[in-house]
Amino acid sequence: MLADLRQAGSLKCLFPRRSGPGLESVLVNTAGGVTGGDSFSCRADAATGCTLTVTTQAAERAYRATAQDVGTIRNELTAQPGSRLNWLPQETILFDACALRRTTHIDLNGDAQLLYCEPVVFGRLAMGESVRTGQFYDRVEIRRDGRLLYLDAIRLDADIQAQLDRPFVANGARAMACVVYAAHDAETHLEPLREMLPDTAGATLLEPDLLVMRLLAADGFVLRQTLIPVLNRIHRSDLPRCWMI
Amino acid sequence: MAMDALTAMTTEDAILTLTQWLSPAYPVGAFAYSHGLEALVGDGRVKTADDLRAWLEDVLRCGTGLCDARLLAAAWKAASAEAVASIDETARALAASRERVIETDQLGAAFGKVTNDIWQHEANALCYPVALGRAASLQNIPLDLTLRLFLQATVSNLVSAGQRLAPIGQTEAQRLVRDLMPLCHEIAESAKDGDLSNLSSFAFMADIASMRHETQYSRIFRT
Repeated sequence: MLADLRQAGSLKCLFPRRSGPGLESVLVNTAGGVTGGDSFSCRADAATGCTLTVTTQAAERAYRATAQDVGTIRNELTAQPGSRLNWLPQETILFDACALRRTTHIDLNGDAQLLYCEPVVFGRLAMGESVRTGQFYDRVEIRRDGRLLYLDAIRLDADIQAQLDRPFVANGARAMACVVYAAHDAETHLEPLREMLPDTAGATLLEPDLLVMRLLAADGFVLRQTLIPVLNRIHRSDLPRCWMI
Repeated sequence: MAMDALTAMTTEDAILTLTQWLSPAYPVGAFAYSHGLEALVGDGRVKTADDLRAWLEDVLRCGTGLCDARLLAAAWKAASAEAVASIDETARALAASRERVIETDQLGAAFGKVTNDIWQHEANALCYPVALGRAASLQNIPLDLTLRLFLQATVSNLVSAGQRLAPIGQTEAQRLVRDLMPLCHEIAESAKDGDLSNLSSFAFMADIASMRHETQYSRIFRT
């Protein structure tokens, strides 16, 4: 059930009718992407005992911008005791000369559960695109009851493609995802998930209730081929429709 | 007490103290950790001294090298034990895998145990770079020097792990340590502000290897 909704500018929110439990929220960027000077922010709270799933209608696009005029995205998410928050946006696609800074703060309270997945595609390989210059800063902070559980901090500058080509950075991969599952049953998923991963991905249990995965793939399509079964396993085949394709 | 230490610690004393702390003989057990390198050797991704160099460059510049240096600098500059505890929380949250948490936690705990005892520091169990930065600060050892010797010791230790895992000779191993000196200086320079809002870690393949090491069948290293 939706308790409160405010929207402004080109970021809208849709709530498709669905058969499963909980509320599904689909973010729509009516501007079609992020470029220099844009500023997007999203705040969401999963109330006590509720399930909230947030996804996006389309892949987010970070277009050409000047480095002096970056686009920013700020996500602030909270989950109350007994709730489940699923943060499952579609890919963020970086275009050449993009300038994007994104911060995501997630505050879990009590036994709140979180499934988080952020896929990034560095230029659409099939379209012959590459990211020779640009700036992509992405920082994710996940806390439980105020304690920092997980920090992912990426600052890619200048020739992003050359850095991704380094053998122990991404070894030429053009798509990457980070998956975090924070819940009491995290450990039970570790071994089955490991068996589903190619050798360009890994899973680990940072704490008994905190499972983290890092995945690399040649492009966004190959990444989805791994991500969809992985997310379906954790999320009991209840992914948003846009993830079914 | 800080003033006494400040007047007492000459540059020569600072160098000797750091050399003692960072020596393989100092009982932190650094020889037992490969930082995920063992998995890469097992997968055939690191076979030669050139592969080892590429891995070290990526880990230092894009991964834990620069991050640990920044965490060390932040701990060195921290004004209170509470500030150090917050930096330690960040260090743990940034660890890319279970084994990376174990590595930094156990090295830091071992370092703290002996250092607290001898130098009479009162510090809680901290992650390794945080423990080292805090101890250097308490002894009034310059940050620049601490960062450079820490990075060199890190390189030296990982090259030594590489020698035990792959057919890499003594001379080429030591040449590698020497060749990476400019990179250690470069990283020390960019990390010394200790600004944790600038943390950046994207040595994804190295991180994935450290996750995959957790299930490696045959292994001689803890990480």
